[in-house]
Amino acid sequence: MLRVQDCSISNATRSLIQNMSFTVSPGEVLTLMGPSGAGKSTFLSWMIGALPAEFSFQGELWLNKQRRDTLPTARRNIGILFQDALLFAHLNVGQNLAMALPATIKGREQRQYYVEQALANAQLTHFSRRDPATLSGGERARVSVLRALLAKPEALLLDEPFSRLDQTLREQFRQFVWQQVEQQAIPVVLVTHDPQDIPTGGHIITVNGSDY
Amino acid sequence: MSNRGLQRTLALLAVGCVFAPLLPGLVMMAKPMLMPDIWRQLWADNQWTGALQATLYSTMISVGGSLTLCLILLCGLWPGAHWQRLTSRMPLLLALPHVAFASGFLFMLSDNGWLARLCGVSFHLDENGVGLGILLALKECWFLLWIASTQLNQQSLSQQLTVAQSLGYGPLQSRMRVLVAQLLPRLKWALLAVVAYSLSVVDVAIILGPSNPPTLAVLAWQWLNDADPQRVAMGMLTSMLLVVMLVIFSTVGYAIWRLSRRCLGQFSGKRHQLSILPLALGSGFIMTLTGVAAIAMLVLWSFADGWFYPALLPDAFALSGWQAAELSPLITTLVLALASSLTGLLVVVLWLEGGSSRFDLWLALPLFLPALPLVAGQYQILLVMEQDESWLGVIWSHLLWVVPYMLLVARPAWQQFDSRLTITAQTFGWSPWKILCWVKLPMLIRPLLAALAVGFSVSVAQYLPTLYAGAGRFTSVTTETVALSSGGDPQQQAIQALLQMLLPAIMFIAMRQLSSLFTHYRQGLR
Amino acid sequence: MRLLTLLLSLVAFSFTAFAQPTNWNALRQQANGQTVYFNAWGGDPAVNSYLDWVASEMKQQYGVTVKVVRLADAADAVKRIQSEAAAGRKENGSVDLLWVNGENFRTLKQAGLLKEGWAWQLPNWRYVDQKKPVREDFSQPTDGAEAPWGSAQLMLIGNEQADMNFPRSAAELLAFAGKKPGKLSYPRPPDFTGTAFIEQLLIVLTHDSQALRLPPDPTTFKQVTDPLWEYLDKLHPLLWREGKAFPPTPARMDRMLADGELLFSVTFNPAHVDNLIDRKLLPKTAQAFGFAQGMLGNVHFVTIPANARAQAGAQVLANFLMSPQAQIRKATPAIWGDATILDSTTLPAPLNEQLDAQKPVHQQAVPYLAEPHAAWVDALEKEWLQRYGAK
Repeated sequence: MLRVQDCSISNATRSLIQNMSFTVSPGEVLTLMGPSGAGKSTFLSWMIGALPAEFSFQGELWLNKQRRDTLPTARRNIGILFQDALLFAHLNVGQNLAMALPATIKGREQRQYYVEQALANAQLTHFSRRDPATLSGGERARVSVLRALLAKPEALLLDEPFSRLDQTLREQFRQFVWQQVEQQAIPVVLVTHDPQDIPTGGHIITVNGSDY
Repeated sequence: MSNRGLQRTLALLAVGCVFAPLLPGLVMMAKPMLMPDIWRQLWADNQWTGALQATLYSTMISVGGSLTLCLILLCGLWPGAHWQRLTSRMPLLLALPHVAFASGFLFMLSDNGWLARLCGVSFHLDENGVGLGILLALKECWFLLWIASTQLNQQSLSQQLTVAQSLGYGPLQSRMRVLVAQLLPRLKWALLAVVAYSLSVVDVAIILGPSNPPTLAVLAWQWLNDADPQRVAMGMLTSMLLVVMLVIFSTVGYAIWRLSRRCLGQFSGKRHQLSILPLALGSGFIMTLTGVAAIAMLVLWSFADGWFYPALLPDAFALSGWQAAELSPLITTLVLALASSLTGLLVVVLWLEGGSSRFDLWLALPLFLPALPLVAGQYQILLVMEQDESWLGVIWSHLLWVVPYMLLVARPAWQQFDSRLTITAQTFGWSPWKILCWVKLPMLIRPLLAALAVGFSVSVAQYLPTLYAGAGRFTSVTTETVALSSGGDPQQQAIQALLQMLLPAIMFIAMRQLSSLFTHYRQGLR
Repeated sequence: MRLLTLLLSLVAFSFTAFAQPTNWNALRQQANGQTVYFNAWGGDPAVNSYLDWVASEMKQQYGVTVKVVRLADAADAVKRIQSEAAAGRKENGSVDLLWVNGENFRTLKQAGLLKEGWAWQLPNWRYVDQKKPVREDFSQPTDGAEAPWGSAQLMLIGNEQADMNFPRSAAELLAFAGKKPGKLSYPRPPDFTGTAFIEQLLIVLTHDSQALRLPPDPTTFKQVTDPLWEYLDKLHPLLWREGKAFPPTPARMDRMLADGELLFSVTFNPAHVDNLIDRKLLPKTAQAFGFAQGMLGNVHFVTIPANARAQAGAQVLANFLMSPQAQIRKATPAIWGDATILDSTTLPAPLNEQLDAQKPVHQQAVPYLAEPHAAWVDALEKEWLQRYGAK
């Protein structure tokens, strides 16, 4: 269960978010909608712990009954997907994924097995040794999702992950993401400005830079 | 001629004019390699092994130390307020010329230095090249940080860092695995230049290095200055051997990189939350402190009217030294540096537009070869064309060193330039020249200003080219400092060192101000 | 008052100048308006300010513009002259007048790169002290290619303290080093002064001083120099850093003397001490001293390359440098203190008294010893480097 309580974020000139509170249950997808520049991505960066220094903030973040906003990014155990796939260019696909695996999976063969499993799950078999730069946009996006989920996060944030893809790919990729997330049963927060991205039955919060 | 063809021809012409003397210089240097009795003489000379040892120590400490310090500062401080503060300090410490820093360092840390007077410790720094290595490590670290900071201005890198951290990796781990792994290949040319400089530096090695025997570079310099042609040949041979050592160093470095790549690519999944922020802060503080202390020493000495051991402060202060100091070298240096850096910028832009990056290595050669044979080659050409002792001749000879450094700074920016912007402009029907002037140059204004500042300070620091091509007619602050360092008056030496520092410092600060002025209204240029 | 007498004697002096040979007047006319590039070692601010004075006097008296090119090492200019010769530059060379000594002179003269036979023609030559070695440089005849400028004598500098007796011979020096280990040293050859120090020891220690007047003979080299190497082998372990490292220049040694790290420094200019004390670079108790038997001395010269552009101007400058007016000022310890090459007995009063008055205060004078032949420099340097050049 992901809970945000009374979050306010402002920078020197204006206040972006005021007293935002919500709860997301495991397996549920909450969508934050609003025009560009309203502060949605800033809010996500507060949730992940990467808020730039020029912002001041207040509020609490609770995940599975533990307070997380006081922890550094690395200890929050929350995953994030950005607009760009952001695969690490110096590592191949398999290494990108292996990086996400927790330490409890020991041994090279074990870890390789999990990586291959995940790739097969996404119809990307034999991609393990590929250079990320040689993949298509859709393939990169899929690897990016796999990586985020292989780390077994307790919650997942999506910062407009579909906006760089074309329409057909978008639909496929959307389904792929909801499928993967369902398997994990974790709370998900999605930021987008496209109403088509909203999964059926999900809650929506509109953020438009002032009272909502 | 088509526009592309014109660009290519101009590029080749510009670069050819500057680099022509490389060939006679190289031929002159390579000749003794074919004479077996010169080899025998070299082998018989007993200074050689000690000099080799000193050179190896100083170079390894210099490269290893500067890279380690650079990585510590990166991994500890980037990105954030600390990093911003560090980068704002950089211009002053970068602009401190090596000779000035070495003089201040010596005043501080020699056996009669200030630190010894303060707490009685005595380091014997000038033995075995250790002191030289430490000074070079401290100075070159700033250079590496400067180059790294030009690579780090990408939003995707900080987002990648966030992703790595969201996967559970702590501050140090995430930066090592993501940032350093991607940054090191981009630093390879800067590292090579550091190795080359450490191997072949002469003026700093004279001030701080061992003397019995000196480093290989100083030994070669002494031999090349000798009247005996055999010694001259030995000097040339040693210069070529320095080049061989450079090749060996770079091969070893490359091998280490390949090995570590394999390690960096393997993940056991273990995460730790180690942060080296305190270590980085401490290192940054000590480095800045050393730089500031060196400058303070120079300032104290410049006003000192009698200062003997073991006094912590001079016996008296006087302005007499400053009043007696000459200003004409300062003006000469300023004019030369402005002219050569602006011309160098033109040459670099022409090359980046019209030339292929495959030949960059050839253009960078002057960074890796000892200066004396190249300067001799330039001088021969100037004599023949009767342009020696002219402003044009001196500026031209400076270009041989100014252009490679400027290229080093500007090339990465050119490579990262989004080619789609060029294509978009081409679809408007613009010629390559128009695109260059109206699209590329304005967008790359920050790296260009940085390159200009670097070229300026390289020109200020030139000694041999000013002396030879100028046929002694041109006195720059550097020729004055070196001439005075062979005497025993620390006050005048300190004054000239401070003057030598003044110009590049002003230039770096000015470029930084201009940079922020341009990017204040256009955040996308940052 | 003294200034007035000086001026009056100079005026009287200049009347006798009208009795000069006509080619001197032609030379002066040619020189008027020329620019002379005087290449000189620039490491001493005292020398630099003296040369600035020379430049302003030359402009006033002769209309010649003198541009002083400061060098870190005379070899820089030598190499430039050699490069110009290699490129076939027979006229319009970049060096008009060069301050030179010993080895460098020999290199240039043997390559035929110097203008010859002019020095004796200058009017002020008649005041030169012929007893000093002004017609030969390192036992090599000058053939009028060099005009003497000043004389030098190798001396040691020490800090006079109550319980210290300066050593007055090589043996006393060794004993002194034994009593105060780690406090003595000398500049590392091939530094000019360091080599001279070794030569000085060779002169006083060798059993065959005649051999030093001739170039070294490989067959007798060992026999002639053995006493020197034996002495050094005994001396080095008692030196600073146990003889494993040596200060690079005498200037550095002056600094170490001032800071108390060394007890002695070495110099080629005895009046250097007065000058350094004035400039607060040495304590007031510093003294120059030498061996009772004598210390080697020589003369330093200025020379004109064969391809010099402003030959007339250079000769006029060389003549001025030898003039009593310039020599007196040069010998003044507060200004530079470089000893004169003029014979004061040939000068009219009061110039002769003024010249004699410029004796260094902080100095204990010793006799002059003649330098060995120029070829010994190279041979000794090579051998020293072979034995002690590395740890």
